[in-house]
Amino acid sequence: MSYLLQQIINGLSIGSVYALMAVGYSLVYSILNFSNFAHGGVIMIGAYIGYFCLTMLKVPFYIAFILSALGAGLLAVSMEKVVYRPLRKRNAPFLYFIISAMGASIFLENIVIASPIGPTFRTYPPIFSTEPIMLGPVALGRIDLLMFIISAISLIALIYIIEKTKIGLSIRATSYSVKGSTLMGVNVDQVIFIIFIMGGILAGIAGMLFGMKYTVYPQIGNITTKSFIAAVFGGLGSLPGAVFGSILLGIIETMTSGYLSSQYRDLIAFALLIFVLVVKPTGLMGKSTEDKA
Amino acid sequence: MRRKVLSLISVLLIFTLMLTGCGGSGSTSGASSDVIKIGWIGSLTGDQAVWGTCESNTIKMLIEQVNADGGILGKQVEGIYYDTKGDAAEAVNAVKRLISQDKVVAILGPNASGQALAISSVLDQYKVSDIATVATNPKVTVNEDGSVKKYNFRVCFIDPYQGAVAAGYAYDKLGLKNAAILYDVASDYSQGFTEFFEKTFTEKGGKIVAKEGFKEGDVDFRPQLSKIKEANPDVILMPYYYKEVALSANQARDLGIEATLIGGDGWPSDQLMTMAKDAIEGSYVVNHLDFNDPDVKPLQDAYKAKYDLPMELNGYMAHDAFLLLEAAIKDANSADPEKITESLTKVSVEGVTGTIKISPDTHNPDGKEAAIVRIESGDYIFQEKYGVK
Amino acid sequence: MSWIYISGILILSGINLLTVLGLSLLTGFTGLFSFGHAGFMAIGAYIAATATVKMGISFIPALLAGGCGAMIAGLLIGKLTLNLKGDYFCIATLGFGEAIRLILDNIKYFGGARGLPNIYPHTNLTVVIIIDIIAIVVLVFIIKSRHGRNMVAIREEEMASQVIGIDVFKYKLMSLAISALYAGIAGGLLAHYLGYIQPIMFKMVKSTELTIIVIFGGLGSVSGSVVGALLLTFLPEILRSFYEWRLVVYGAAVILIMITRPQGLMGGKEFSFKGIARIFRKFKNKSKNKKEGVKL
Repeated sequence: MSYLLQQIINGLSIGSVYALMAVGYSLVYSILNFSNFAHGGVIMIGAYIGYFCLTMLKVPFYIAFILSALGAGLLAVSMEKVVYRPLRKRNAPFLYFIISAMGASIFLENIVIASPIGPTFRTYPPIFSTEPIMLGPVALGRIDLLMFIISAISLIALIYIIEKTKIGLSIRATSYSVKGSTLMGVNVDQVIFIIFIMGGILAGIAGMLFGMKYTVYPQIGNITTKSFIAAVFGGLGSLPGAVFGSILLGIIETMTSGYLSSQYRDLIAFALLIFVLVVKPTGLMGKSTEDKA
Repeated sequence: MRRKVLSLISVLLIFTLMLTGCGGSGSTSGASSDVIKIGWIGSLTGDQAVWGTCESNTIKMLIEQVNADGGILGKQVEGIYYDTKGDAAEAVNAVKRLISQDKVVAILGPNASGQALAISSVLDQYKVSDIATVATNPKVTVNEDGSVKKYNFRVCFIDPYQGAVAAGYAYDKLGLKNAAILYDVASDYSQGFTEFFEKTFTEKGGKIVAKEGFKEGDVDFRPQLSKIKEANPDVILMPYYYKEVALSANQARDLGIEATLIGGDGWPSDQLMTMAKDAIEGSYVVNHLDFNDPDVKPLQDAYKAKYDLPMELNGYMAHDAFLLLEAAIKDANSADPEKITESLTKVSVEGVTGTIKISPDTHNPDGKEAAIVRIESGDYIFQEKYGVK
Repeated sequence: MSWIYISGILILSGINLLTVLGLSLLTGFTGLFSFGHAGFMAIGAYIAATATVKMGISFIPALLAGGCGAMIAGLLIGKLTLNLKGDYFCIATLGFGEAIRLILDNIKYFGGARGLPNIYPHTNLTVVIIIDIIAIVVLVFIIKSRHGRNMVAIREEEMASQVIGIDVFKYKLMSLAISALYAGIAGGLLAHYLGYIQPIMFKMVKSTELTIIVIFGGLGSVSGSVVGALLLTFLPEILRSFYEWRLVVYGAAVILIMITRPQGLMGGKEFSFKGIARIFRKFKNKSKNKKEGVKL
């Protein structure tokens, strides 16, 4: 019994990492209808900003946190300006967006490797006691708990912005129809700016938490393919779907490792994904995706 | 259609012409018999860049020393270093370039088995020898049918040996009877190590209570470790590189696993100590040498003074590979690759990782014992030389 | 530069070219994006290598078997996922590529992660060139045919093609199967060139690099793919010391191409002598006619 409980906690902990990353993806997808593969790169840069703030500037933890969120947000916005805006203005096909995003992700990963930062992995200085909280025989990591809380807070804040504010209203409107909302006087450029800055801030938070929990290295972006899969699971473009899909993927992965076979974990998770998509092509909670083309 | 074919051919032709043209004017150092050229290949970029860089640095340093002392056979030595990016196809390219264009007499490296395996057909074809540094897959030097590959050599022990030593030491010396294994399914090194650990450990009468896998790039091992915890092992084998070791060791301790950890030559690294010092306290490592041996001190100091970097394991292996090659060239009394190949099995050198004498039957170093190291408060404490039959 | 070295690189670029040609049909002409082509290469490589090493089948049939194996895998995965929208299909191919690698890592018969050594090096430059030429001819045939035009129509306006009665699913599947076949044969060639294969050679990075070549060469241009494959395999060899920055430049260049010249190097045009003559004529006339806009 305690074993099952431990595995559920493991799954939730892994799932919450995916969730924080997947939400940023989904946010961009809900408006622009393409997968921002460069999101992983932004997360990675966020993790590095946090690391250097803590080790070189020696600022307190919460300031490092804010700086990495802002830095990543800035990066995301400037990337939108440089990479996606020209394509948007031209009404380029969706394929070009994906390719550019891929290019951006390759660029970000390799510029870190080629720069003096280099390919070695780096360890965050200890911020909290790493001693886990023991609930009977079940161990709960402190950083996991923190991650859970911060994920929850930022997600609630995000959902509040989208559901309750005026900006949120224009975001929602744009996600239904870009053309329609333009006609209704929504400044689409502004909406997209806000989407990217929010996505970037989330990426920075995710990156810093990831770095604290594990370590920092240039290939962090690869983990985000998992969160991307999770977002697809839940249904691209849906924020609750992204969170739900991520938690589900985390649990499925852990249960597969725990009860079936850790060697074939990803294969089983992938087969399940295909199964879900065959049964429900828009993911579990995805918005209906009639091509907008 | 025909036009297309023609255009393809013309493009191909233009390219070849361009390149041969460039090459023709570029290769000035064609016939220089007063220099002995030695090639090195390995990862200067990519995940394993740390080790590759250390290897090439070490060889550069040694060549400088040799040249300052008058060179080999009265000739100056020149080193040529190519990056393989950790990729087998790149390794093949690099070796072809070293042999055909740079005309090296022998090649040192690479530091991974995959690349060493891929280059062997090229070596066979052009009859130049390669001495691998830490390529531990047994098939690097022998064919499927057990016959030896004529031009592949190495100065390190092999996976079966490493696995057997770890199993033997854990069972016989530490008296641990129940073992769990966590390994990287996508790594040849990890799989080989695991396979032979399992074999020796069960033959001795031990029990493998859990065998769990992960995939390179993973950072969370708690699902697997929770399962291992349930199996309640005395010892956990962690046959992979230091980044994953650090993460998995920390997570194992977080879950309350108290079993002894044991690992191989992928462990030693400063990074491991900074990240998981407490978690790996009391762990055992099967290594190629004792880092605190006074005999290796001069080499460490020279390296540190020159590059201001800590010496990595690969540096010691590259050092020994270079010594072996130097001795072979002297023994052959010639810079002819074929004669050097013959001499490689004849000479015996005192390296920093022990006496190196290449066996003619396997092209592995004969009777090299592993160094068992225990990790105590952030340092590698040498336990004993340990070997198995 | 010595011929041995150059021929080695030529072989590699020829192998890359074969996969790129297939990808060109899929991405450039049909508008589907794949992250899993290294997986198809892996299937081809392992089937072909097993056939020659363990079953004693001769080289060319083994290559074909590898190609067919990859094609069948392509058909299977396509059947399941081609109904999905762009991004969902992307993810499916990504998962597919990684799944293939995971399976190969775990199967002892294929040597697991430790790989399959001692493959006889059958692949030489002549074989590669012949296969490449056949592949180009076949590809051009397909593109020039009704089927090829239908594929381009799907790339341009999927919904409209559906409306005018093109069986979108069938053509997507066909395109995927053919590109998988090409990748499979390329995998077999690679295995018999290196003499050793290992699942790690077929990482996702390999898939993205192949796609980058297609983009460089130009979406919707066969000769672009040819030039792209040759250039991008040779360039890093010439600039060996530049390696660390290579991928940085690639990434930046991909973005730049998409922003400024999405048609890539050849821009949907084909390399032909007529075209060259036309360019010359243009120079002669010096007429400042606006360049023909090539729409993709």
